[in-house]
Amino acid sequence: MASKTKALITDPLSDNNPITIQVLGICSALAVTVKVDKAVIMCLALTAVLTLSNTVISLLRQVIPSRIRMIVEMTVIASLVIVADQLLKAYAFELSRELSVFVGLIITNCIVMGRAEAFALQNPPRDSFLDGLGNSLGYSAVLLIVASIREVFGSGTWLGLQVMPSGYLPNVLMLLAPGAFIIIGLLVWAQRTLIGHYETD
Amino acid sequence: MRKDDLKVIRFATIVCVACSFLLALTASALRPRQDANRTFFQKQNVLAAFQVETVDKSGRPWTREQTLAFFDERIQVKILDADTGTVREGMTLEDADPEAIRAGSLRPLYILTEDGEPVSYAFPISGQGLWSTLYGFMALEKDLATIRGVSFYEHGETPGLGGEVDSDWFTAQFRGKRVFADGELVEFEVVKGGGTEDRDHAVDGITAATITSRGVQNFLNRDLRAYEPFFRTIRGG
Repeated sequence: MASKTKALITDPLSDNNPITIQVLGICSALAVTVKVDKAVIMCLALTAVLTLSNTVISLLRQVIPSRIRMIVEMTVIASLVIVADQLLKAYAFELSRELSVFVGLIITNCIVMGRAEAFALQNPPRDSFLDGLGNSLGYSAVLLIVASIREVFGSGTWLGLQVMPSGYLPNVLMLLAPGAFIIIGLLVWAQRTLIGHYETD
Repeated sequence: MRKDDLKVIRFATIVCVACSFLLALTASALRPRQDANRTFFQKQNVLAAFQVETVDKSGRPWTREQTLAFFDERIQVKILDADTGTVREGMTLEDADPEAIRAGSLRPLYILTEDGEPVSYAFPISGQGLWSTLYGFMALEKDLATIRGVSFYEHGETPGLGGEVDSDWFTAQFRGKRVFADGELVEFEVVKGGGTEDRDHAVDGITAATITSRGVQNFLNRDLRAYEPFFRTIRGG
């Protein structure tokens, strides 16, 4: 049991990573990885929403009429996202101005809906909570790696601190969406080669 | 009707009510803090229009406290009556009715002072762009004829096109341009080719954002005219 619990957290970090293996949540991974600080806030917001939505939906799993289960999931997720957005507006105003549209888009982040459907509907709250946490961490890990690479090479800074020698000419490609595509592509390739994951027909 | 329809409807209702309640609760609990943030952000933008360097000696941006301290010490806010162009004595921004400000019958004027003497005047500008209403501030030098700075703090224009209104290259062009010549206001223009040195009363518009540029031009002139009766009394005196 203990090892199964542990697997709920560790699996999505590598062997079943939501971005590099399941290829979900790509949109925000491209959009908010220009600067590390934005990525951190996005990760926190997604972690809050995903763990809570998994827990709530798991608590409701016995009583949700199956005919309207997706609408109910959507309502729960949307409410949590709005709460997260409101909290950001109150406590991290500057960042919320830059992030706002993407925080709203967590509603359509496939990871959240995906975990609700695939896991929370069949499993008890505690496991669903851990599954949500694990998947958030897996998502966050990839987001932070991509954001670090993009900020270091695209702006010469990391979390706003100068890391490249002065006179470093920033690589603008890193700041543009194609730069993110290339980095995520390379990550997916590296990750899958490392763990020997192959897609089968 | 199917057998479990009532159950489904009941469940849906409960979920909706619970979610609405949660949202209403969050919104009202966080409202004061969000409003405070918004007011603070406006103050920062007033300072941006005044071209105040909001960094300390070592180049770190000011903290919230430093910004507010500067604002309290150096900036006076007066409320003007739009109809008469006179100052409502004793009225502060806090007691002015926000509805009246939005409707334009009361208009705030920010005055940057140095040793108690006014050195620059700023006022809010806002109006329609392509998709959204833009909000910002414009600051004039002491002569009330030369632009000191312009800043925008809220808009929903297309990023990269009309959204460029709040970028440095666009707002920086306004500095030193003039809105007043030969004793009267001059229509200011935001147009292609407006940025050249020999044009005193124009700046470059934004490429591929003609409607946003035209919008800025329109409301900028309109808001300038609204303040003109009061400005005239200062220039005259």
